[in-house]
Amino acid sequence: MSLLELNGVSKHFGAIRALTDVTLHMEPGEVLGLMGDNGAGKSTLVKIIAGNFPPSHGELRINGEEVHFHKPIDARAKGIEVVYQDLALCDNLTAAANVFLGREPRFGVWPFRFLDHKEMYRRSATLFKELKSETRPRDLVRQMSGGQRQAVAIARTRLAEARLVLMDEPTAAISVRQVAEVLDLIRRLSDQGIAVILISHRMPDVFTVADRVVVMRRGSKVADKPTANSSPEEVTGLITGAIEAA
Amino acid sequence: MNKKDLGLLLLILAVGAVVAVLNPRFLLPINISNTSNLVGLFGLSALGQAFVIITGGIELSVGSMMALIGVLFVDFVATEGLPWPVAVVLMLALGVLIGLAHGYLITKVKLQPFVVTLCGLLIYRGIARFYTHDATAGFGFNQNFPVLQGITTGKLWGIPASVIALAIVGTIMWIVLHRSTFGRYLYAVGKNEEAARYSGIKTDRVIVWAYVICQILNTISALYFAMYTRSIAPASHGNFYELYAIAAAVLGGFSLLGGEGSLVGVILGVVLLQELQNLVNLLGIPSSLNFAVMGGVILIGVTLDQQWGRFREKRNGARAARDATVGRPAAESAQ
Repeated sequence: MSLLELNGVSKHFGAIRALTDVTLHMEPGEVLGLMGDNGAGKSTLVKIIAGNFPPSHGELRINGEEVHFHKPIDARAKGIEVVYQDLALCDNLTAAANVFLGREPRFGVWPFRFLDHKEMYRRSATLFKELKSETRPRDLVRQMSGGQRQAVAIARTRLAEARLVLMDEPTAAISVRQVAEVLDLIRRLSDQGIAVILISHRMPDVFTVADRVVVMRRGSKVADKPTANSSPEEVTGLITGAIEAA
Repeated sequence: MNKKDLGLLLLILAVGAVVAVLNPRFLLPINISNTSNLVGLFGLSALGQAFVIITGGIELSVGSMMALIGVLFVDFVATEGLPWPVAVVLMLALGVLIGLAHGYLITKVKLQPFVVTLCGLLIYRGIARFYTHDATAGFGFNQNFPVLQGITTGKLWGIPASVIALAIVGTIMWIVLHRSTFGRYLYAVGKNEEAARYSGIKTDRVIVWAYVICQILNTISALYFAMYTRSIAPASHGNFYELYAIAAAVLGGFSLLGGEGSLVGVILGVVLLQELQNLVNLLGIPSSLNFAVMGGVILIGVTLDQQWGRFREKRNGARAARDATVGRPAAESAQ
């Protein structure tokens, strides 16, 4: 029984077929590199998994149980978290405040319920330590490097006890040194049994960190194989269509 | 209290010291009492404005609302003979209603805050003038309301009631802004509304509440002003008061783009503005220059703050670069 199963998932917007008959499964702790050119259907696929919209056909199963997501919150309730490309952090707040944004621990009785700053600092420090990140809970996000911001965004998903984390181009806008940091973070998640779908244009990242690579072209899945049995050249061929399928 | 607030406090003390040397009457109890009374009156309104500015919005209608609430309140109590507690409740209800309306237009109809509240500024001023046919509404000489006057214009141990009101309201609002989830959400919504929404925050509700709070605090301020002046000329009462509140917030470290500022900051901003007004009077500067002095000081203040911010950013950047080169081997050996 897989953590996540997609069976025959299609999606069309009016006459436009964005996704055709995609079948996919993921196991706990697995890192999947999702590749494809712009408009190949990556985003549509991810948005279906994240609950932004339901598929036109096909079914989603989490741990064997069929699920219907209508809003992102439905997916979140099932342990699916998204780390957005632009990170969706508030850079006027501290790292800890961002980790807990929208689910702050409080103490006291209504109407006298106050933010539990101590608890937020303590727990986010633990999360950063688990991720082996040097991020400090009291630092403002404004002052952080791209890698540290990723750590904050990823710590958010740890807090939610996510089982599957979707990452959209996490290494698109950061320096080479920070890329290594982010790939480390992905490994940390995988070590803890969390499955990761990594959407990326960067071939080296996918081949460094992913166990398996899935290639999308024109709305269809054209390859799904262990990275060990593939190569950047083959994947490039699959993306462009030079190789039909693998 | 953060560094910005501390800097502002030092500026207030420095200006105070200079004025005291040039004109010792600055330190007379009567002068301090009068000035602090004005701080209390303007402070209540500025606090409300601060909540809106944190969300990245602006509330331009508060001066006109002061005139409208002033004429309605005085008319209800002095002319119609309504018991004053009932009138107070009615005025607060009006404030809540106006806040809800502004919030609705901004979040649901998606109009810009500047436009909505600018229209409010014009509409409420017009209604206030129409209501009294442009006549001044006032209490008669023999009309006394001991309790109401006691809590609005009285003194406790020599402290003006308005200052006490500001202290109480300020404390409550400090807790709301800096110690509650609502306050946290205000900052989040003001800086990055999309991120806040992704985090499951009901951003529209947070913004509507900010406008409601602004109007409630402004209503309280309006009632204190009405009792202080005892007569309200609807064409001029409260003119420019929204701008005083915005100026105080900006001086206090708020960004009009939202997400920045502290409660202590806005109160210090009000104190500095009133100190400047007082300075103009005491140092014999022609009162026609009043606005020019205020504008000049605000401009210098925000310029210095901006330059200081850029300097700090550069320094932080340099430190981060150094850490990146020096810190890397250390981090690797630690693993």
